[in-house]
Amino acid sequence: MRFKTRSRSRETLLRLAAYGTILIALVLTLFPVYWIAANSFKFDIDIFAVPPEWVPRNPTLKHYEQAFIERPFLRYALNSFLVAVGTTVISVTFGTMAGYALARFTYPWQWRKHVSFWILSTRMMPPIVSIIPLYLFFNYFDLLNTKAALIIAYTAFNLPFATWMMKSYFQDLPVELEEAAIVDGDTRWGAFLHVALPLARPGLAATAIFCLIISWNEFLLALIITLTEQSQTLPIGIAGRVTQYTTYWGEISAAGFMACVPIVIFAFIVQKHLVRGLSLGALKG
Amino acid sequence: MKGKSAASLAIGGGLERWAERRLRYLMLAPAVLILLALTIFPSLYMFYAAVHRISPNPDLPWQFVGAANFARLFSDGQFQAALRNTAIFTVVAVSVEFLLGLGLALLLDKYIRRMTFLKTVLMIPMMLPPIAVAITWKLIYEPQFGVLNEIMYRLGLPPQAWAGDVDLAMFSIIVADVWQWTPFIFLLMLAGLASLPVEPYEAAELDGASSWRQFWDLTIPFLKPVIAIALLLRVMDALRLFDLVFILTGGGPADRTKVLSLYIYQVAYRFADPGYAAAISLFVLFVTIVLSTWFMKRMRLVE
Repeated sequence: MRFKTRSRSRETLLRLAAYGTILIALVLTLFPVYWIAANSFKFDIDIFAVPPEWVPRNPTLKHYEQAFIERPFLRYALNSFLVAVGTTVISVTFGTMAGYALARFTYPWQWRKHVSFWILSTRMMPPIVSIIPLYLFFNYFDLLNTKAALIIAYTAFNLPFATWMMKSYFQDLPVELEEAAIVDGDTRWGAFLHVALPLARPGLAATAIFCLIISWNEFLLALIITLTEQSQTLPIGIAGRVTQYTTYWGEISAAGFMACVPIVIFAFIVQKHLVRGLSLGALKG
Repeated sequence: MKGKSAASLAIGGGLERWAERRLRYLMLAPAVLILLALTIFPSLYMFYAAVHRISPNPDLPWQFVGAANFARLFSDGQFQAALRNTAIFTVVAVSVEFLLGLGLALLLDKYIRRMTFLKTVLMIPMMLPPIAVAITWKLIYEPQFGVLNEIMYRLGLPPQAWAGDVDLAMFSIIVADVWQWTPFIFLLMLAGLASLPVEPYEAAELDGASSWRQFWDLTIPFLKPVIAIALLLRVMDALRLFDLVFILTGGGPADRTKVLSLYIYQVAYRFADPGYAAAISLFVLFVTIVLSTWFMKRMRLVE
């Protein structure tokens, strides 16, 4: 947006108002994150203090000790990690292949259009809808309480997303480079592997990031499919500390904060891909 | 299938040429087969379950009841409350997120173009586990020691029960959702703004068009595809809201925040009536697909 230039003083005033608004947005964005971090370092009695302690006066690592030594939060985190990585590898591998096929090949009977639309439409299915059949299905095959079941379930909604994103990336790449490789003696598959895939690396990164975040955070399916410590993920572990009788605020804050940290660090490392990825991929449909 | 290796000239060559000719199907096949298994099968199974009465006792056979489970939808007050709550939540939350996200993106695009770091900070909420978000807001809303009531007190306003108050519970959920998902709209709009062409604006300047006119006649039409995608994704997600409600209110007080996902969960697991839960799920699926398809056609998102 480039606005018409106005008088100097009015421009300065607008600029100040804009900075003010952005500052307020920053405070509102960060305060809840700060608050969970601050509470994770307070003793229980200080969490319940009225008026609240804005800065922990008496900081402690007690809740981290509870969460990670006495309780199995490391196990939950490891489960989350394995499930997220498994889902991402499967979804991105097959999604990339399908996305490439839909972007580059022609099919009889308008297949391309129908298959694209159908794949997109599977993403619309709310997880709660597929939960009952999936539950019965996993029960039948003795997969309840396994990480494999979670990976299968998460693949159902990450694969359409990955296909859709990668399709739009490949559509943006010029097809001539692959044609040149084939003229030079490479196979069709080779052209995909050696030419198209390396060029689509930013898209691949963005797609993988989103699959990782979605699987790391998922709650509802994990709540129903897993009941044992061996298979439960971090979100379930955290929710388990909100019980009928009491809520273990300190422990929850410590675990919740630890669940956020890897994602946020990761986001800063890959921020370039994140913005670029979305601006190229998701926007074009 | 490395391509030019010498070994492939013998027997492998025939197989390889076969694979090469069918590459268009082979590359598509894994994704299509996985998705068929994971969506068509559950949908059919769900339809089968929806026309049966299923006892919580797994040894008892399913009893065919025809459309009875669907007929129940019309007389089920809790279902209608859930439908109304989901509609209210979706419309209000997505509208507010859209206006705030677009506004913020316009401000940043005009005044702080190069600050990637600042943009990433503003996007933190959408990356956090929704469950951690739900618990953070539960702590903030807590009536006795919560920080929100402390702020109300400092401002000379009466404290509230927030998530526990009949009139404020849905508002509280919407605020938490807006906090988490405005950044998503913001990110998409920023990306859209970054790709605007410069020339039409220069022409508009020459014609003396006001910035307001430029916004309506240039920016909004250019952003239309991005706006459509952002709204579509947010509405699809809002229709399946679960985590926030599960932790913040459990659907209460007085069913004011009971949304469809939570109701299906309760019917299936607490009331142990999977047949009826399947019927409600099919209803939700039907509404989601009809709404999304209509919207995508209208916005010309599919050719």
